[in-house]
Amino acid sequence: MSPDILDESSVIWFGPQHVSAHGWAAKLTIVGDYIVECDPNAGYFHRSAEKCLEFRNFRQGSMILERICMMEAFLAEYPYIAAVEKIVDLEVPERAKIMRTIMMEFNRIHSLQFWWGQFAGELGLFVMLLWPWVDREYSLDAFEELTGSRHTVSYATPGGVKYDFTPKFLAKMETALKLVKDRMPVFNDMLAGSPTFRLRTEGVGHYTAKQALKWGLSGPNIKACGIPMDLRKDDPDPNLAYDLIDWEVPVINNEEHPGESDAFDRLLQRFKEIETSLDIIEKLLPILPEGPIIDPKARSKTNRLPEGEGYGRVEGTRGVTSVWLKTMAKAQTPWRAKIRGPCFASYYSLKHIVPGARFADFPAIFGSLDPYPGWWDR
Amino acid sequence: MSKTPGSASTLARTIINKYPDIESKPLVGNKVELVVPPEMIRDIVSMIDEEVSDALPESLFGVDLTEDKYEVIYIFWSHEGKMLVQLRVSLEGETPEIETVSDIFPGLDWHERETHELYGINFKNHPDLRLLLLPDELEGKFPMRKSFLTDRSRMDETGLARPKPRPKPGGESS
Amino acid sequence: MQFDVFTWLGGLWDWVIGVLLWLWGFLMWPFLWEGPFDFFAWFGGLWDWVLGIFLWLWGIVNWLIFWVVDFVNWIWFLVSLPENFMFLFRAIVFPGLIFILLALIFTVWYTRKIWARLQDRRGPMHMGKYGGLQLFADAIKLMSKEIIIPDKAKRWMYRILPSLLLVIVMLPFAFIPWDPYWNILGSPTSPFPDLSVSLVLVFAILTAVPVFSLLIGWVSGSKYSLIGGFRAANNQFAAEIPMVISSVGPAMLAGSLSLYSIVMAQTNIWYIVLLPINFITFFVAAIASVGTFPFDAPVADSEIIFGWRTELSGIYFTVVYFAEFAEQMLYSALMVTLFLGGFNGLPFLAGIVNFAIKWLVVFFLFIVVTSSFYRLRQDQVVHLCWKYLLPLSILNVVLVMFALVYIPGLVPLVIGG
Repeated sequence: MSPDILDESSVIWFGPQHVSAHGWAAKLTIVGDYIVECDPNAGYFHRSAEKCLEFRNFRQGSMILERICMMEAFLAEYPYIAAVEKIVDLEVPERAKIMRTIMMEFNRIHSLQFWWGQFAGELGLFVMLLWPWVDREYSLDAFEELTGSRHTVSYATPGGVKYDFTPKFLAKMETALKLVKDRMPVFNDMLAGSPTFRLRTEGVGHYTAKQALKWGLSGPNIKACGIPMDLRKDDPDPNLAYDLIDWEVPVINNEEHPGESDAFDRLLQRFKEIETSLDIIEKLLPILPEGPIIDPKARSKTNRLPEGEGYGRVEGTRGVTSVWLKTMAKAQTPWRAKIRGPCFASYYSLKHIVPGARFADFPAIFGSLDPYPGWWDR
Repeated sequence: MSKTPGSASTLARTIINKYPDIESKPLVGNKVELVVPPEMIRDIVSMIDEEVSDALPESLFGVDLTEDKYEVIYIFWSHEGKMLVQLRVSLEGETPEIETVSDIFPGLDWHERETHELYGINFKNHPDLRLLLLPDELEGKFPMRKSFLTDRSRMDETGLARPKPRPKPGGESS
Repeated sequence: MQFDVFTWLGGLWDWVIGVLLWLWGFLMWPFLWEGPFDFFAWFGGLWDWVLGIFLWLWGIVNWLIFWVVDFVNWIWFLVSLPENFMFLFRAIVFPGLIFILLALIFTVWYTRKIWARLQDRRGPMHMGKYGGLQLFADAIKLMSKEIIIPDKAKRWMYRILPSLLLVIVMLPFAFIPWDPYWNILGSPTSPFPDLSVSLVLVFAILTAVPVFSLLIGWVSGSKYSLIGGFRAANNQFAAEIPMVISSVGPAMLAGSLSLYSIVMAQTNIWYIVLLPINFITFFVAAIASVGTFPFDAPVADSEIIFGWRTELSGIYFTVVYFAEFAEQMLYSALMVTLFLGGFNGLPFLAGIVNFAIKWLVVFFLFIVVTSSFYRLRQDQVVHLCWKYLLPLSILNVVLVMFALVYIPGLVPLVIGG
């Protein structure tokens, strides 16, 4: 860009009081209708979760994490538990492993339902904003039945899970999942099948797989480029049940631009994610064995951990979610806990994706990346 | 683009062949840890960039080991090789310094900014070391260091009113 | 009592002479009167002087009072003439201001209710039966809110423009033929029996609406509202030409530019039967012109907060909110008039009832369309309107021209009985 173009530029702050910038702010330099520079700003939700974790013991830590991203609480709390389980030797019962996995996939569906609504709302269709959110209520009811809480569930715990499945919960989960399955064609029609939706998303927010890898994007954002990078398959956590069953990594391959993705591809990718999650739950439910749900020694073993380092990772709804934990001998709290949120990278990548887009396309771009401010601010 | 090494140990051997100063430490699974001297970090990271075609810069963070000792840990993940490479750099000093790698992996740009503001580790040649998460008044305080106190002793800095002492039960009413 | 300004001003001269004489008396005292200078006798003259100016001022006040009384008498005289009284009744009560306001309130409730049902919600439920009083509650709440005017706003423009917008949007309702008899303008018995160009007048007045949007966006002193204002102008720029050309078809069939005559010509057949494509182009262009949902780039809340309305607060926001609904109502009424036969319909119903039923149906279509599409980008709005709507509407005009000439039985059918 030549400097004389920038003479006519003006700066717009997109956030932090903006309606669709919930707790973040990007400084956009626009020339005419086009954005020439985007400078995302973080820190509006910073609650120093990593420092807080240094003052919580190993059973409390996961509860800080699930408050970072309430939409995927089951998934967000798990990396910490995985890291603790890497350091201390706990025997997680088979039943607990499968229950954790089921709840994580159920939570993934719920989080994607929320995202559908949010994305459609950002593109200006309020019907589609509210329909998935109505369905989402059934998932939340099921969470509440299981854990007593709709969002901050704190379900998994080092060594197992806290609550057993009840028949009432199973019935509620079946209702919720059946609704999701029944309404998938409807939502597919209203999102991917809508001509105006295609007009708004096709060719918008375009990047290649190589770029995405360099920026650190993960999860659906990179699977939309055709790379089946999925930690559930690549690096399955030993205390989860993904390797017990046979399933396919959801990945779409756009023939028109292989190895690249735009906002529309990312939508299709997230549809596939839901189908996969439904598939995994369907396959896991029959093989759920009877038995204990927690290692009986878990409580005494996690009071004080041996010295060590653990890296717990999980494929969250939005990408690789991980906690790196360093413990000192005989300490009740971690020495250092680093939370790696998937949206840290996707929010950063706005800086590279957005320039050149129209101002009106900005919500479509950030909506398709599914950013959640908690993950970068922590 | 050269061949993608199949396993983490192959990669580690390739790197050590070129830079004998590096120590490698295998972890559980297809994972390897390399202990890198601070001055060589750019060489190693660009070598990972060349050797691993789909390296994902997963994380970069600092660890405070007290007594002015710090560690910076880089984590890279490769989907094709299903391997994880963890680089560990030990730093010393009041304001430790290390070369930036944000031009090789742009994804580490913000990680470096965050580590800089939270630990006071200076990333040389980083284009933009503004504050990322912290409010302005905490600039230069490095709150994730262990020496940063979080109790009431820093109450004056916050500008908040001191909590009033509780009235004693049975005390005279004003 | 006639008032003559010059006579009255001449009184000023008398007064000046009096003051000068009084001062002259002070100087000439020793020569004119015997004895010592009596200050109090001289000073007593001041009272006459003050009284003089009061009397002079009273002259004009007196005249004003008489003028006002005369004026009121004259107005009462005019109003008491039967046709004037009926015109005023029409303009103010029915189907004028009060009817429109009540219809507006109903419309807002109706829209919110249908939106809510489409979105799997219930909408307003608590205030009144089925939330019927919710709008009043909202209006009271909005009016009692603090009015925050941004520092950079041009204060007087900011205060005036929203009300002007509402006035401009309400004006064209005067030309809508609601009923064979009960119309403001254009009914057989009114002082203006048939306004021969009312269709053109409606569009002429509506052209001012985007100007007000742009101005409100401009004077608010915010970048978001400025962008919204430009987008509103862009929307109108895109949608107005197809809309006006779509309305040429009915006018040509009826052979008149008067809305009343167009309705009267539809006694045999409604023009939607003959011009379905024209109806659709008009409909889409009307939605784009209002700037509601699929075309709501001017007020896109996920992009530019609330577009040109971002900085409005309190009563100004209420007024602009009403203006948007009034514009939707107006376009629905225009569509009923141009394509759906206006007050023609079931013979045993009053004309206004027929009109209202069709109007509700068209409004329902409006709401369904506004809640089934994603927001179009502003360049796509222009693309849609100019690439698809404009050729279609022009094609329709050409077809109507040929049909009128070459189809023999058409003219008696469309002229009406």
